[in-house]
This record gives sequence, structure tokens and C-alpha cells, in this order.
Amino acid sequence: MAGKTLVVTSGKGGVGKTTTVANIGTVLAKRKKSVVMIDADIGLRNLDVVMGLENRIVYNLVDIVEGKCRKEQAMIRDRKLNNLYIIPSAQTRDKDSVQPEQMKDLCCELAEEFDYVIIDCPAGIEQGFRNAVAGAEVAIVITTPEVSAIRDADRVIGLLEAGLLRDIHLIVNRLNHRMVKKGDMMSTTDIVSLLAVPLLGVVPESEDVVVSTNRGIPLVHDKGSRAGLAFRNIGGRLCGESIPLEEDAGEKFLDRMKRLIWS
Amino acid sequence: MTSNNLAPIQIKAKRNGFLLMPDPEASFDSVMEYLNQHLKESQDFFKRSEMTLDLRARPLRTDEISALHSLLVEKAQVKLVEVKLTETLSFVVDRPLIQQQSPPPSSVPSRQATSARITVSPLIVRNTCRSGTRIESQADCVVLGDVNPGAEVVAVGDIIIFGNLRGIAHAGADGDRSARIWALSIEPSQIRIADLVAVPPKGSKPAAKRFEIAEVQKDMIEVILL
Repeated sequence: MAGKTLVVTSGKGGVGKTTTVANIGTVLAKRKKSVVMIDADIGLRNLDVVMGLENRIVYNLVDIVEGKCRKEQAMIRDRKLNNLYIIPSAQTRDKDSVQPEQMKDLCCELAEEFDYVIIDCPAGIEQGFRNAVAGAEVAIVITTPEVSAIRDADRVIGLLEAGLLRDIHLIVNRLNHRMVKKGDMMSTTDIVSLLAVPLLGVVPESEDVVVSTNRGIPLVHDKGSRAGLAFRNIGGRLCGESIPLEEDAGEKFLDRMKRLIWS
Repeated sequence: MTSNNLAPIQIKAKRNGFLLMPDPEASFDSVMEYLNQHLKESQDFFKRSEMTLDLRARPLRTDEISALHSLLVEKAQVKLVEVKLTETLSFVVDRPLIQQQSPPPSSVPSRQATSARITVSPLIVRNTCRSGTRIESQADCVVLGDVNPGAEVVAVGDIIIFGNLRGIAHAGADGDRSARIWALSIEPSQIRIADLVAVPPKGSKPAAKRFEIAEVQKDMIEVILL
């Protein structure tokens, strides 16, 4: 039974693609799915850092493609979950070292063995983007509530549709509910009405994200974090569960109590 | 007939021309190669014939379609009249309209432009124009969907948008000042009619959906509510 291949993309840089990949991958693995994450950002490797696996890299994506190693040799197992793997990208090479067809073949092979193949797409819409998208059947587009990020997301959705990828979902990252209430930030409704793709989840802005990235432990392991909860729910929705979107009205009293107890 | 079935693209004769149907299994390269060879062999036979490209069974990417288009139109001098993309979406092509980034049409006196407009059928776009799309029409243009920021719609005639206009629209591109832009709501980054350019007044809050028309009045583009 072949698994699902997802690509996480955004067009604009710095909106949280890598963080999303790390967290979605971890959530799905926690749900007893076998998951492999591919860092397609050749030359700007960072998924391994976010996962805290930097010092274990021996082989990388380019080595697999060039036949210097078997793909099992380049796959690094997560520290906590033994059904979660990453394939790091090469830091010393560039995007042209891999061709879209090669990525497609690799994704097909991996989808035979794993339930989910998650590809971390580089920023931009050039060669790196084409490589990352080539093997994917589902796309998750990340945007933040800023006009520049939304414009780029719109362009990327257009390119995906032109490339005949129809299964596109949206995640709005770094939403600040307080600013939306004051009218200083675009609301989720505005973004969805402009981009016109189904919403997979909304991740609130949180300081926990920076902390978890620096520690190399994905946020979803932290039970008290609201951003972590958002990612857990996104993972659930990907598995086909119908989980309502998180409360827009900010923290409820009960949640605040829970958070106090957990911390 | 057997050799015809094995071909990567089927060429069927219709009453008023030919129907091209790529095989769903065939690779794009083999389609191009086969077509190139076939058209070269019987160039005189196909020359100036009308062809319909049926992509319902075998969808192609936009760059593949434009490569196929240039092979048919420029090399083989075939007249491509229609591209069927899906059951609901098809382009009626009288002139090369598929070009995504061709330079804007050169200035022609407006009277000539209006007469040409009547003979060319309007371009109908049945999806949302996202950022980076450029739609060009030698006649009127109808968009059934939104025009998002970063998208451009350029038409020699009128532009009719059944959705929100948030990007750039240029009606009367050949200099026809009587051209108009119609949309459910006009909150664009810029609108142009013939040689005039207008930007929406700053700080204007987008109102609730309604029907709006942009037209030239006394050398100024004005947006009026219908």
C-alpha cells in the first residue's frame, strides 16, 4: 500500500515551512504512522537542526540521487520516535545537483515503504521548488497574515495548479489573535477568501516556537504549548479526523488553567 | 488502424478539421516527436487546416501546451482553433491567445480596433487568476472568478469579472477609450483603460459586494456603482 507524499511550500521564506514539516512529521509519527521527511532545500540545510539531528549526518539527499549510497544509509532515525526518519539535504551543493525526475523516483520508492513522505520545499519558485514539488501528490501551502506572504502563496498555488497538483491545503502560521481583534492584522477569513483553498489549520504566534527550534525538539512534544496543540490538530486532520478549528477568541479560562498546571 | 492506435497522439478527421488527442499513457516528449515527424511528412496536407486539441484524457502543463502550440502554429502553420482542457474549461483560439508573456499589442487606431473586436470571440477564463498570471485577449475578456493581486488581465475590448478585481486590469488596450471594466467589486492595485491609468483613492475601505463599472468620463477613469 503506497503512502501519501506531501510537500510543504510557501514561496516566501521565513514563514515556517521547516518548523511545520518537523512538527507535522512528528505528530504523524506519534500517531503510529511511519514517516520520512526530506529536506529539499539543498545548500541551505536546516531541517536536521530543527529536529536536533545535525551531528548524525553522514550521507545526504544528493548522495542518494548520485548513487553514492543506498537511501537507507542516508535516512536518520529520530531520537524519540523510531518510526520517524529524515533525509537531510547537502549543505555544500546547490539546487541543480538534483533533477525533478530523480526526486519523483525517490518519492515513489519511499512512498512504497512509508505511510507519509513529507518534503520540505525551499523558498522561491525556481529549480528547488520544481524539484520539491515533482514527486508530491498533496501540497500544504504555508502563509503568515502578511500581504507579502499571501501574495507569494497565491503565486505558488497558481504554479501548483498549473503543474496539475490539485490537492492543495492552507496553513496560516503566526496568527496573533489580539492583533486581529484590534483590526491590525488580516484575519483567517480574509486570507482564505483571497486564496480560495481549504484551510487545514491556524497556528498562533508563540515564543515556544523559537525555544523548541533552538533546542532541536519539535513543539508537539510540549503538551502545554498552544502552537503545539495547533500542529497536533493539523496532524489529526491529515489523518482524516474532523477536528474543529481552534478557538479564535484567544485562550479560554480552562486552557489557561491547564497551561499553569503543565508548566 | 492498428498503427494509429499505438501512436502517442491520435489525429482524427472531423467535419471541419482535425482533432488531436494525446494518448493518456504517452510521454510528452514522444507526443512532440511523433507530431513533429508526422506534420513534416505531410506538411502540405495539414497546412492551414483547422485543428482542435483535446486534452481531456491527457492533461498537459501550461509550458507543454505552449510548446505544442508553437509547434503546430509556427512550424506546421496549422490553425489551432480550440484547446479543450477539461469538460468545463476550453479555450477558443482564433489568434495566438495562449501566449502568457507576449508584449502588449501595439497601438492601432480605435475605430479599427472596435471592428476587429466584433470578429474575434471573447476569451473566457473559468478560474481565479492568481498572482503571476497574465491573461491577454484580442477581444473582450470574461473572468469567472477573482483577479487576485499580482495578476494582470489585458483586453482589447471590455473586461468582465464575475468576482473581485484586486489585481491589474487593462481594458481597451489598443487605445479604445470606450472600453469598460465590469466587476462584482473593484478594489484593484491599478486599473487602466486605453492610455489612462488610475489607482483607487487611499484609505478607502472596501465596501460590501456590489456590481461596479469602471469607465472613462471626461478623460478620467471613474468607478461607478450599478
